[in-house]
Formats: sequence, structure tokens, C-alpha cells
Amino acid sequence: MAAITLENLSKNFGAFAALKELNLEVRDREFVALLGPSGCGKTTTMNLISGLLHPSVGRILFDTRDVTPIPMDRRGVGFVFQNYAIFTHMTVRQNLAFGLRVRRLPPSEINRRVGAIAEMMQLTKLLDSRTDKLSVNILQRIAIGRSAIVEPAIFLLDEPLSNVDAAFRQVMRTELKTLQRQFKQTMVYVTHDQLEAMTMADRIAVLDQGILQQVGSPLEIYNHPRNVFVARFIGSPGMNLLNGRLSAENGQTFVDLGPAGRTDALPSGLARAAERAQSANVLVGVRPEDLECVDGATESGLTLVVSFVERIGHRTVVHLGAGAQSAKMTAHSTFVAALGSALRLRARAAGLRLFDRSSGLALTLE
Amino acid sequence: MTIAQSPIDFAAPGLSTQPAALNADERATRRLGTYLTLPTQILLAFIVIFPLLMELYISLSSWTPLDGRNWLYAYRYWAGLDNYWELISNARFWQSIGRTLFIMVVCVPVELLLGLGLALLFAGEFRGKRLFYSIMLMPMMVVPAVAGYMFFMLFQSGGPINNILSTLSGGAVSIAWLSRPNLALAAVMIADIWQWTPLMFLILLAGLLGVPEDQLRMATLLGAGPWWRFRLIVLPRIRAILLIALAIRTIEIFKVFDTLYIMTTGGPGVSTETISVYIYKVTMEDLQWSYVAAIALVILVVLSALAAPAIKRFAPAR
Repeated sequence: MAAITLENLSKNFGAFAALKELNLEVRDREFVALLGPSGCGKTTTMNLISGLLHPSVGRILFDTRDVTPIPMDRRGVGFVFQNYAIFTHMTVRQNLAFGLRVRRLPPSEINRRVGAIAEMMQLTKLLDSRTDKLSVNILQRIAIGRSAIVEPAIFLLDEPLSNVDAAFRQVMRTELKTLQRQFKQTMVYVTHDQLEAMTMADRIAVLDQGILQQVGSPLEIYNHPRNVFVARFIGSPGMNLLNGRLSAENGQTFVDLGPAGRTDALPSGLARAAERAQSANVLVGVRPEDLECVDGATESGLTLVVSFVERIGHRTVVHLGAGAQSAKMTAHSTFVAALGSALRLRARAAGLRLFDRSSGLALTLE
Repeated sequence: MTIAQSPIDFAAPGLSTQPAALNADERATRRLGTYLTLPTQILLAFIVIFPLLMELYISLSSWTPLDGRNWLYAYRYWAGLDNYWELISNARFWQSIGRTLFIMVVCVPVELLLGLGLALLFAGEFRGKRLFYSIMLMPMMVVPAVAGYMFFMLFQSGGPINNILSTLSGGAVSIAWLSRPNLALAAVMIADIWQWTPLMFLILLAGLLGVPEDQLRMATLLGAGPWWRFRLIVLPRIRAILLIALAIRTIEIFKVFDTLYIMTTGGPGVSTETISVYIYKVTMEDLQWSYVAAIALVILVVLSALAAPAIKRFAPAR
């Protein structure tokens, strides 16, 4: 049983603020991914939870216990480093047994538990081999097994999959999730790979420049980004953001996108949210997959010019532009369009999002 | 002594094992290697093998420079193994060996432990680290003869050490350090420890700094306190360097001479006479060169035997 509460957590390195007033709650047995670009403070957060670093301001609670002053060797947090930090002068068995050995468990108990964890991590055959010549995929299993063997209630993983090859990464994504259920642990997972975060996490915390941008379930984050950073960062390609002006006509609200044209009438919910906007100048957010080509005859809709066509295989990303605006659209792999040709497009009403242009925050009904 | 190894060692390890499997390219590479190391090998032959043979030759005679003949004519004074029998039965020789071993057995572990302690301290961070680091290394830079003279002055009966002891004890202390057999030996050993602990410290610090930081952190996260971290992570990683440091000091201390000779000239009596001082005296005062040659050869064999396990152990790790 262990929930993690980060209260008003800040960490400065000299004049550089790596983490600013982070408030985050990780529930017991929850899998939370810390997601963000390099240098956003995610590893700092992990180091603070594990005790490798001491916060400049703020508290860390495990359940209701304040662990801020507790040194790392007594915090009992499992941690898998990005480079695994395998003890290369030891065998696989010695690596796995390390945590039990320093706890002075009897050898029979150590053997039993090493055997069990090796079985689970599929390392049984390798138990007595040296660790300095094993592949990264295996080192990663050792690193996880070594931390898991002491059965920590809290498990931290710092980009554990960033070094392994693509095929193995896919296997490990499902496996890690299964392991977490088996161990019944609270897991915090750092990654810059949104696919990992989306597929594994119960909730995702998006960080940028030391500031928590949004916390929510993967779909919540994807569908309802709280600000323009999350909108752009999540999704591949990210959400299109177009400069627009709110305009009303016949009791309906539209967004005028200048040379690109005008959106369809906003759905009622979004229209009501738009009423609360500070200014008529907004950013319209629409996911690339929510743009679709329409028949040239329809009156409403957007007109954008094809500037580049990116073929990925299972689909095609079409780069579009109109004046200073640019957008991307995903289409079927068979999509054909000449560079420089104008496309008539429609943004699916359900996929439209509005952001305040000055604050960058999403306009919602709350 | 280590340079006296056979010339085969200069070839790359992998090449000498399976000559049958070599192709033309490898043979050419190997030949080039031989040519390139040839000058060194010839040089080695002159500075190592030639003197060794000369020593062996002289040691089997009773030749001394007092005979007024060139050493080449030593065969005219052929004495067979007499010098070796003399050596075995000479109590002064054995006492000097025993004394040298005693100094070794006390000083090397003390230097090792002090050096290790200091290295562990300096592997961390503390105020004034750079300053103390420089100060720590100073004894090593002092010429041994100067160090000997320094300790000679310090340990005078009216010298600073007695002054300090007087101040501490409140009464006048005038211990004749260098004139009393046991105290003289202690003084000599203190000087050696003072001068050579920094070398141990430096070697071990280099070893400690090579221990990966992230492994130490991981060990800590897995619940290992300082002792377990030292035992399971640090010690295995510095074991090689630790043994090398031990081997170096063990061999070096066997040859301890300059500091000691200036402090006590081996006295009072023969109470601080180590094997080197003994050899020096027999060479320079008694001029028994053939006997000295026998001693030198015996010591060479003994030291090589001592160093061999360490060298053998680390040879494959090159």
C-alpha cells in the first residue's frame, strides 16, 4: 500500500529551477507516466521521490507519512535507472540477490526468491553468467528484477525502454504493465515517448520546463488538452493550432480563419465556452485526423494548399498552408494530392477545441 | 624486477597462442612488431640480462676489487657455492632480512589502511579539499634523502618531537630516539609511513574515482549502507589496484635505504640495519663484492617469487 503525494515540490540547481511547485498525487497501485520533452523536470521528480535529491521546497508523502527527511537507503523505493546501473563485476544471480543480501536474509530465503524472480523475468538460464557481456534487453530485465525482488511498494522507472530495440520495446510495454499488476505496486514511469505513456499509464502527468501542464487519463489528455503545449506535444503529429477570430451569425458561432476560410458552426457546448473568452482572438485546435476532404461544392469549409506529402506507410501526413497558417492532416495511404493544389477541408465539429490566444489555456465549460 | 620478463611478452597476447592459424597479414603484423621492439629488447638484454649473468659469475668466486684484477678473471678465484653457504650461515644477514620483513609487515598495512581511509575521505566532498589534497601529496615529492635528514632533525633529543612531548606532558622530555635500538626502528618506520602513505592514497583514490557513481547510488537505493556499498561495490572494483599498490610497496620497502641510512646509518649497532643497508655496508666497507653478488641474486629470486602472483593475476587484464 503506497500512495505518493508531492506537495508544492520545487527543486533549484543554483539559479536554475528544474521543478516549480509540483503538486501531484499518485494513488495506490496506480501507474502514472511522467511525460515531457528533455529537461522538463521528469527525472528530477523521480530523483526527489527516491531520495537521490532533496527538494528545495515542499514535501513528499508516502501514504500519510512524510518521507522528505528520510535518506534514500531507507526509503525502500524501487528504482530502475535509464542506464540500468548493473553491477558488472557480479553475476546475474548476485545482482538479483543484492537487495536481499544487504538486508541479511538467510541464504535459503535469498535463493528461493532469486529463483522466483528469475523465473518471472525469464533469467533462469542466465543466473550464473557474468553481466558484462549480456545484451541491453537482458540487462533491462536484470535491472527490473533486482529492484522488484525486495518488493518495494513504490517502483520508479526512468526511461527503461529508451535503450532497447524497437521490437523488444513493444514486448516490454505489455510485460511491464503485467508485472505491475502482479507486484501490486505503485509505479511512476518517466518517458519522453508518448506512445509508451499512452499504452501503459493509468494517468499521465505532462511536464514542461519544470511545470506540471496537465494530469489525466491518456484519453483525457489526448482529447482535452488543457493548454496549447499539451495540445501540440501529445499526438503524432500534434494538434493543429490555427489563429482565428470568433464571429457570430444567426445565433451561431463560427471561427474565421482568415485566408483559410471559416469553420462550421461550433457545437453548442463549445459555443457557450467561446462566450466566456476574454477576446475574440482564439486558437482553434483540431487533430490531424479530424480534418477531412470535402466536395468542392460545399459553401462552408476551409481551403488549404498542399505544401508537402509525407508517406509513412499505413497513412499519409499532408502538410498544408494558407497565408501564415499551417496545419497537418492525416489521410489514407492511398491519398493523392499534387503539391501546390488547394484542398477543400472540413474540421469535424466534435474535434474542434478552442484556446485563448494570450494565455494558451483551453476554453472549456468547466 | 618486472622488466626482466621474457621478450615473448612484448608480442600481442592473442597472436602468440595459435601460430598455425596465422594468415599472411597477421604474420606481417607480427614481424613488424618484432622489428619495432627489437631495439628495446637489445637494450633490455644489456641492462638486465648482462648484469644478471655478471652477478651470477662473480657470486661463484671470491673475487674482490682489492685483488687488483679485472672481474673477468674471477674464475681464477673460483669458490663454487661458498658465498651462498656463507650467506645461509651469516646471522647478521638473516637479522637484516628479519628486520626488513618486520618493517614491511608493519609499515605496508599501516600505509595501506591510512591511504585507504584518506582516499575514502577524499572521494567525497568537504571544505578545503583541494588544499588538503596538495598537502597530502607533499611527502611523496620530498627527496628521500631530504626526508631522512628532516626526520633526523625531528628526532634529535633536543628536537621538535621531544619539545612537543614536553609541552603535552608538562615535564621535560629528552628521549634519545635515534640512539635507542627499538625507538630508532620505530622512528625509521614512522618516516617511511610519512613518506609513502601518500602514494598509497593516490593509487587508491584513483581506484575509488573509477567506481561508477550510478552503481553506488543504485546500491544505496537497494538498501545498502556505507559498509555494504564498500564491501560489495567498491572493494571488488578496487581489488586489482589494491593488490598492485600492495605489490609496489612491498617490493619498494624491501629496498628501503636512503631515508633510513641518513637517519641512523643502520644503527645504533645494527638495530636498524635492513637488507639494503647491510648490502651497502658489505659492498662499501668490506668490499666483499662476490658475496654481495650472491646476496643480490638471492633477493632478486625472493622478490620475484613474491611479486609473481600479483603479476600473473593481472597479466591477462592488460
